[in-house]
Amino acid sequence: MTHDAAPARRAWGAALEGMRDAIVLPAWVIGLAMLGVGSLAHDLGFPFWATLLATPLIWAGPAQFVLFGGIAGGGALASVALAVSLTSMRMLPMGMSLLPLMDAGKRSLPMRLLLAHYIVVMIWTEGQRRLPALDPDIRVPYYLGFANASVLLATLLTALGFFMSASVSPMMAAGLLFLTPMFFFLSLLAGVRTAADGVALGLGILLMPLALPLVGPDFDLPVVGLVGGTLAYLVHRRRR
Amino acid sequence: MTGLEEALGPLWPYFLVIVVGFLPSEFWRFCSAVFSGWIDDRSEVFVWVRMVATALVAAVVAKLLLQPPEALALVPLWARLGSLLVGTAVFRMLGGNAFAGVAAGVLTLLAAGSLI
Repeated sequence: MTHDAAPARRAWGAALEGMRDAIVLPAWVIGLAMLGVGSLAHDLGFPFWATLLATPLIWAGPAQFVLFGGIAGGGALASVALAVSLTSMRMLPMGMSLLPLMDAGKRSLPMRLLLAHYIVVMIWTEGQRRLPALDPDIRVPYYLGFANASVLLATLLTALGFFMSASVSPMMAAGLLFLTPMFFFLSLLAGVRTAADGVALGLGILLMPLALPLVGPDFDLPVVGLVGGTLAYLVHRRRR
Repeated sequence: MTGLEEALGPLWPYFLVIVVGFLPSEFWRFCSAVFSGWIDDRSEVFVWVRMVATALVAAVVAKLLLQPPEALALVPLWARLGSLLVGTAVFRMLGGNAFAGVAAGVLTLLAAGSLI
């Protein structure tokens, strides 16, 4: 069907398209959250280059907040590491439901590890709705373009946040913090394809006020995910 | 641990980022990479995991609104929820324009916050 040079060109085209789609809006949502991380790290006296390294390496806002806050608070390192790990537990179902869209079964473990490294809420919600619409053979380059552009922008904004620390007004800080749930919600909503998806989304939100006091801050998210997701799955079974 | 801190000197913060931040966090991505090799995207397990992840991300949104970080808590709960609804309505009316939806939500929040 295609010429020899075409697949490579198609792959690069998809990567560029992914970069563009990220830079238009989604990358800024993470980037502005990382601006806050950079600013916090500066206030806590963390050195610049280690702060900068944390963004592409850890690549998870809540984990970075917990790490910097925990170290500054003088907590035992093992308990800080545990707290970091608890916030990142959410990556497990996200990775397990995003990687199969990129033919995970046919790829080597190192390749799957690379793809999994970029998983965060934003990458998951956007990938969930964008990847199924693409040809399977260009999904990986598109994803890598999208994800790497996001990491690059977020790392630059981490640096910016480190140096503009304390110059953000409280109201502007509130606006920046609201950006994250607002975008996550719309991105999630845009990915709803079946009635069961809608049930999962609705239960995730409605169960949270119950889980906050009943389950506590460490396991509330995984518990709501498991309970809400399983109930939504039963709805999916019923409707077939 | 102070012995190690002294031995590493200026490398200590990098050690913390890798050992206390990166490794404990990446563990879950590592597990997802291992398990995803066994999951076909047309299987029932895949549907179930996707539902769990969807409910979990929705719960993340709810948690950010119900137990917000300090600066966002300056704005009362009704304004946070109202702004989410306004952003969603604009997003829907404009045929799924995420930029317009996010902008409308944030502007509503700022307006509500400055009135209080």
